[in-house]
Amino acid sequence: MMPDLQQVGEGETQQWAPNITAPVVLLENVSKSYGKIHALSEITLALSGGVTGILGSNGAGKSTLFNLLMGKLKPSSGSIKLFGTDPWKNPAPYARVGFVPEHEKMHDWMTAHGFVSLFARLNGLTREEAKSEADRVLNFVGLTDVAHKQLGRYSKGMRQRVKIAHALVNDPELIVLDEPLQGCDPLARTTIMNVIRELGKMGRTVLVSSHILHEIERITEQIVILHNGRLLALGNLHTIREKMDNIPHTISIGCENPKELAKDIINNDAVYGISFPSGDRLQIQTHNLNAVHRELPALIVANGHKVSSIDNPDDDLESILKYLTGGLAR
Amino acid sequence: MMSPPKKDNVFRALDRKLGAVTEFTMRQYRTKLSTWVILGVGFIAISIVVLFYVDSMQQEIEAIDNDGDSADWDGDGYPTGQERIYGTDPENPESHPGTFTPPIAPDAPEKWINEDDFDWDLAASGDTTAGYDDDGDCRLADSTQSQKDNNRNNIECDIILDYDEMRGEWSEPNSDRLVDEDPDEEKYAKEAIHRAFLLAIGKMGFVFLLGIFLPLFLATGLIREEMDNSTIHFMLAKPIARRDIFLGRIVGYLGIVWPYIIAMGAIVGIISGFAGPGESLFRFADLGMWMAIIFATMLATLVYGMLFCALGTLWKRGIILALPFAAWELGMAILSFNAPTSSILRFSVIGWSLNIIDAASLVVWPNMALFISMGMWGGGYGGGGYGGGGRWDNSLEGAGALSAFASDTGLGISPIATIVVSTLVLLFQAAILWLVGSAIFKGKEIE
Amino acid sequence: MSEDEENSPQPQPQPLAQPQPIAAAPQLPIPTTPQPVQPVQPVQPVQQMQPVQPVQQIQPVQPVQQIHQVATDDVQMATAETPVTGQGRMDTAWGSSEGDEDISEMASIGQTDSGEIFKQNYEPWRGELNPRWMRNWAILRHHILGIFKKGHRPWGVPTRIFLVLVFFASLSDAALTLLSSLIGDSEFHSMWGVNRDNLYGHVLGFFPRNVMYYPIVAALLVGGVISEDRLHGTSALYFSRPINRFDYIGMKYASVAFIQAIIIILTLFLYYLTEIMVYGRGWAWIVDTFPIFLGALMGGILLIITYTSIGLALSSVSKGKFFPGIGLLAIILGTKTLAIIVKNLFDREILYLLSPYDCLAHVGQTLVRTQPTYDQYSWTWSLASLIVMNAIALYVLSSRVSSMEVTRE
Repeated sequence: MMPDLQQVGEGETQQWAPNITAPVVLLENVSKSYGKIHALSEITLALSGGVTGILGSNGAGKSTLFNLLMGKLKPSSGSIKLFGTDPWKNPAPYARVGFVPEHEKMHDWMTAHGFVSLFARLNGLTREEAKSEADRVLNFVGLTDVAHKQLGRYSKGMRQRVKIAHALVNDPELIVLDEPLQGCDPLARTTIMNVIRELGKMGRTVLVSSHILHEIERITEQIVILHNGRLLALGNLHTIREKMDNIPHTISIGCENPKELAKDIINNDAVYGISFPSGDRLQIQTHNLNAVHRELPALIVANGHKVSSIDNPDDDLESILKYLTGGLAR
Repeated sequence: MMSPPKKDNVFRALDRKLGAVTEFTMRQYRTKLSTWVILGVGFIAISIVVLFYVDSMQQEIEAIDNDGDSADWDGDGYPTGQERIYGTDPENPESHPGTFTPPIAPDAPEKWINEDDFDWDLAASGDTTAGYDDDGDCRLADSTQSQKDNNRNNIECDIILDYDEMRGEWSEPNSDRLVDEDPDEEKYAKEAIHRAFLLAIGKMGFVFLLGIFLPLFLATGLIREEMDNSTIHFMLAKPIARRDIFLGRIVGYLGIVWPYIIAMGAIVGIISGFAGPGESLFRFADLGMWMAIIFATMLATLVYGMLFCALGTLWKRGIILALPFAAWELGMAILSFNAPTSSILRFSVIGWSLNIIDAASLVVWPNMALFISMGMWGGGYGGGGYGGGGRWDNSLEGAGALSAFASDTGLGISPIATIVVSTLVLLFQAAILWLVGSAIFKGKEIE
Repeated sequence: MSEDEENSPQPQPQPLAQPQPIAAAPQLPIPTTPQPVQPVQPVQPVQQMQPVQPVQQIQPVQPVQQIHQVATDDVQMATAETPVTGQGRMDTAWGSSEGDEDISEMASIGQTDSGEIFKQNYEPWRGELNPRWMRNWAILRHHILGIFKKGHRPWGVPTRIFLVLVFFASLSDAALTLLSSLIGDSEFHSMWGVNRDNLYGHVLGFFPRNVMYYPIVAALLVGGVISEDRLHGTSALYFSRPINRFDYIGMKYASVAFIQAIIIILTLFLYYLTEIMVYGRGWAWIVDTFPIFLGALMGGILLIITYTSIGLALSSVSKGKFFPGIGLLAIILGTKTLAIIVKNLFDREILYLLSPYDCLAHVGQTLVRTQPTYDQYSWTWSLASLIVMNAIALYVLSSRVSSMEVTRE
């Protein structure tokens, strides 16, 4: 009952040792509903290491998922484990977590440096340590020169960077970012994406949520797709794409003489459709991307065609999402 | 990970999580305009009352000749009182002390106003008689023993004072005729008004108005405003227990409110110490009273702060719940004036805080009840003067006000024990409210 | 196929990378090069896009000329050379006090040196703006109907319930008059029927009306009226339309005052009417008591005006929903408490001049000619104090609203 005078982790936050063998984030059959609204239904997820993108349209349950992870909501059923510990009513795991919330309201009267160092002290750092750590992280996100200006004067991108800095101050192993690129100008966007990629390369577990598909694509290949509270897909972007065998893949080949190339390809079993969108492009529809990719180069070289480009225009998140959500019966 | 903590002493340890929340809260208060507005309004309100007090302390209170013996009834130039002393006939113009050898000069009428003041110092607790006839119109009068002993206690020219243990108050003084019948109005009134002012401003001004309104405006939003602004997420995503966040916010709030109360109490205490009546330059005894007032207000703001913060956390419209609670406390405050022993008061916060002040008043002014009864008796003739109006209300000026604001502690134990018990109860209430509030906060799902 | 879809989200960690052992003291690399600053070359990307072809299909010249021809009609229009200015739009929005002018402006088509300005075709609105009173009536209606109808300003449920309760509580003296006629007790009637003191008491009596009912009604009504517009930035809904700021305050003021008037003044009328009808009072009686009734009516109107002014001034200063209401209660009841304390201690009534309720009561007592309870100073001081209080409140209100920015502050 007495307040934790030592403030180093006893009392409410027991001497806590993270479970190293457990995955960093583990959700088992987690559901969250508000009356009749099912925000999340039976999500099972295990994440460790690297950058993972959480993708979903608005209302898919991304923010709910993050709030559940950060112990702000209680799951209606199922269990959540952060570093092997349940975060509801137990803030101990947050010593190793950095959370970047979505909303942009901050205390406008504080300076960036003051903000970061004050909340660093909530992690248990002393005043001096907090100051030096604040300097370090503000440098990392590129805000050293404006660190002592009031937050009220910051642009949106700068605010996002301050939030990220404040989340990094305790060197966390798990960093959760809720819509970090929302409303940012292009420069800030690039900086933040660089930061996220750096963190992923260093072996941290980074969760990034967004509803803008090409943002996630540029940051990571590991994605989790949520839709209407359900987990639609999870894994490597391309692997997911591959697994969806029944969507036709399109391969677009740019070459000098598409009709000639078409004559050679048309006999391949994997190809079921060929079209000519323009005078120097050839589009192949196939169900078996791997087979085509295996055989196509040999074909081209053997017949001496001059090919300028080969790409998969629909191997992107947009078409995956469209397929996955459009294909499900509502 | 992090470098090992260096030289961890108590201050460093406290400076971390809880201390950071506290420091943040205090700095946040400083930046908000509403804080300054509220503190300023409190200061102005108290200052207005203090100004009235200082003004009334400077005023002259009219001296009334209660027994009428400064008048010259027979027109011989000698006041009646003087004639009585010397045994001449006050109604016979021929008979006056000027006819004595040597002739005695006539007294100025003022000598016979307020000439027989109260002499009621009951040294031992068993004493029941008091009073001394200063002007001698009882002692030196030419009358029989039974005429001098109207109250039949075989002591001439005295007053019987009887403390009724059952009802806990002094019964009506039973005085022999013409004893202490012409008291000094100004002296009594100033003392009574001074004491009434201290009690009124201490109880109503500090404990009730400041004690409720400061937490109402400053503490209700401690957690709630952060939740509404979504800025609480920065605090919640850290390894700090929500109970400690709650406590840290409250301590930050106290760090603003308590120095304010101490400063206000000190200022008003010093002013009243200098402006108060009495022979000495500064009334040092009253400082005990002021310490009690400050202490009671500090405890009240602590308990109310915890309560209103918990209400704010519980419900978005929590401040609405605070209003009926404030009304309840007002009712309890009024009840404590009128019926201090009622046990309903135990179920309020303000009852205990007012107990501290009442107990202190009994320590600082041990003769309070007697003093009030003195004023209400008023010498028997009272404020109306001899033959004047107010036959049913003989009280001196100030006695009514004082009796309205003073009250007993109602616990039936000694004042010091009352203070200790009340303090413990208030701290206990604060602790319970802290636990309840932090439990509410801990279980709260915040989007 | 469908099974495949349901099976695809399987919680297998296979596609995920293996958890890397965390290094002992990983340092965040300090970027030496300013990575975020990528040199942006805006010019070239434009060339890679091929927007030219679609644009060429638009031939904007002719439509403009058509508009020019129409423009020569009675409607005042800016010519093609006059650019659209913000000043012009502002004048349209709130400069005009009549508001019925049909001012339409046109976008200009011009070529400047630094590039082509896109051609805008603006069709002027040729309808008739409805009169100002109609627009104001819409605002008033929106606020008043919100008390009991959906689709209008949503007053909170506790507010509505309390208003209904207070309405019926204010009718208590009418009900008691009715009762007294039913039981035929003349003493009862002299206590509760219409007379000087009761008419005064209906409007300005301290307990219970002016302690529990009317100040709290005012506080509940005044709470979010302007402050929520400041908080959510919804004042833009008003000011982006041809509505004056004066009309904006005026109608909000009128709506709050009207609701209070229903509770205070309407019930006064009903009380008076009840007495007339139930006791069959004739014209002689009415002529006798009407001046008193008028006095009480004016007292009630003064009460409503004062509470509304102070309350709205507080609402325009704060952003919260409850602070204005609680501030109003604190002012009304707090100043009264302070004045009572000073009166009891020092027997000085001068502090009553700071308390709105006491000033209103004093003036009301003079209007109705009941026994004045404030005998240390004349009623003109109370009236002067009331005027000063209202003036300060209205000044604060008007300056805050006229400087209110039409965004989320």
